[in-house]
Amino acid sequence: MIHARASRLQLAGVLLLLVVLHFYVRPRLWGPRVSPDFLFVGLMLYAMRSGPGAAALAGFLVGLAADALTPARFGAGALAHTVVAYLASWGRAVFFADNLLVNAAFVAVGLWIRDLLVLAVSGTGDRPLLAELAVYSPLQALTSALFALLVLVVFREWFSIRLDA
Amino acid sequence: MASASERSYTRRDTVMFLVCLGLALLALVSPDSWGLGIAAALRETVLAPVVWLQARAEEGRTSRDRLRIITAERDSAAYRAQALPSLLAENERLRQLLSLSRRTSSPYVAAEVLHQAQATDGRTLLLSVGTRDGVAAFDPVLAPEGLIGVVLNASARTSVVMTWAHPEFRVSAFTVTGNAAGVVAPFTGADGVDGALEFRGVPYRDSVPAGTLVLSSGLGGVYPKGIPVGTVTGVIREQAGWERVYRLLPAANPGSAAHVLVLVAPGGDMARAYPSDSAVRAQPADSVERVRLADSSAQAAPPKPRPRPAPAVGPGDSAR
Repeated sequence: MIHARASRLQLAGVLLLLVVLHFYVRPRLWGPRVSPDFLFVGLMLYAMRSGPGAAALAGFLVGLAADALTPARFGAGALAHTVVAYLASWGRAVFFADNLLVNAAFVAVGLWIRDLLVLAVSGTGDRPLLAELAVYSPLQALTSALFALLVLVVFREWFSIRLDA
Repeated sequence: MASASERSYTRRDTVMFLVCLGLALLALVSPDSWGLGIAAALRETVLAPVVWLQARAEEGRTSRDRLRIITAERDSAAYRAQALPSLLAENERLRQLLSLSRRTSSPYVAAEVLHQAQATDGRTLLLSVGTRDGVAAFDPVLAPEGLIGVVLNASARTSVVMTWAHPEFRVSAFTVTGNAAGVVAPFTGADGVDGALEFRGVPYRDSVPAGTLVLSSGLGGVYPKGIPVGTVTGVIREQAGWERVYRLLPAANPGSAAHVLVLVAPGGDMARAYPSDSAVRAQPADSVERVRLADSSAQAAPPKPRPRPAPAVGPGDSAR
């Protein structure tokens, strides 16, 4: 139903809230490597509710912002976010239904793949890469997925999510 | 069968994805200077509000702790300041007696570290100060515990630091005992510990025991002399009697640093800035020990006549 879908204005409001949370609340939380990535959660929520092209463009812009703020290897973030957002949009349309837990799991898997791509493209050594992917990325994926779950529960009317999980 | 509008929609999506992918790949293969320039331009324009927001958040997060620390430091400083005029005068007089030049001090800028969510955050750090505050590329960045890295790129309000975890990081260093010198670089070996440094180029004959503090040597002109870089924890490898490579435990952790100091005009000896430096502790202890030994040997030994140089001894002297 059209009225049940999140309108663009509502979606923009949620995304703006996530941007503020990312830059104003996140630094006040615990360790920076395990705190939820609010910007990535916003990207995934947007990607799962838009076309693959728009999702890829949004991923590219979010990745470019990440590269500008962490220029360890300029372009790595843009590449990783573009690929993950495109796959999220395409994959959800093909495989997944509107389910709360599936959406949260999608965020977690997407974040882990994002980290894998960023680290691989940045030329990280084997051991640091394994440590990141085995410890920090899963923790951050978990916290981000839990936060995505919270967002989806709070704004379930806007996102039209079924609570049958 | 898909309609014409659905096909064009899919084609448009694919084209947009490929364009974004191509731009990202272009950014990846472009020279580093281009990437840093674009990143700085983005931080100064579209991302300026969010950087400002994050800087305020960092200040807010640490404000209570900082107030407590500053109050304690102010009380200590006020107590010490009572004896300061006489100490300054005494120091000046002693320096004049010893013909020493005035002590140089490095001006610095305090900065907030704006940690990011990306996995490569530890390699480069974003600071809340830039050229407007006097920061420039190649300025050293220090934490209270020791060396963090060097400013890689500075824009008007922000700057990017290359930390010691970056693969291109190098600093010339020496041991606090002064018996070995070499170059410190991030450890990238296959069997190493993550987040470690290696102390390369140490001659094979110069053995460095575990626990030895390694300081920056000041060679190269980027880092001032005396900044703690790390502590030796063991030998990584030996190269056929030519050199030993030691593993270092880094002195400062970029991942947890919230505040740093940027030396805006580096130079001079920084060893006095770090009270934990074992060299600073060792020097007075060594002096006291020497005086004590000299005193005890002087008391224990019987007084001896001062020997005279042989050529000065003449027949008349021996008969006296």
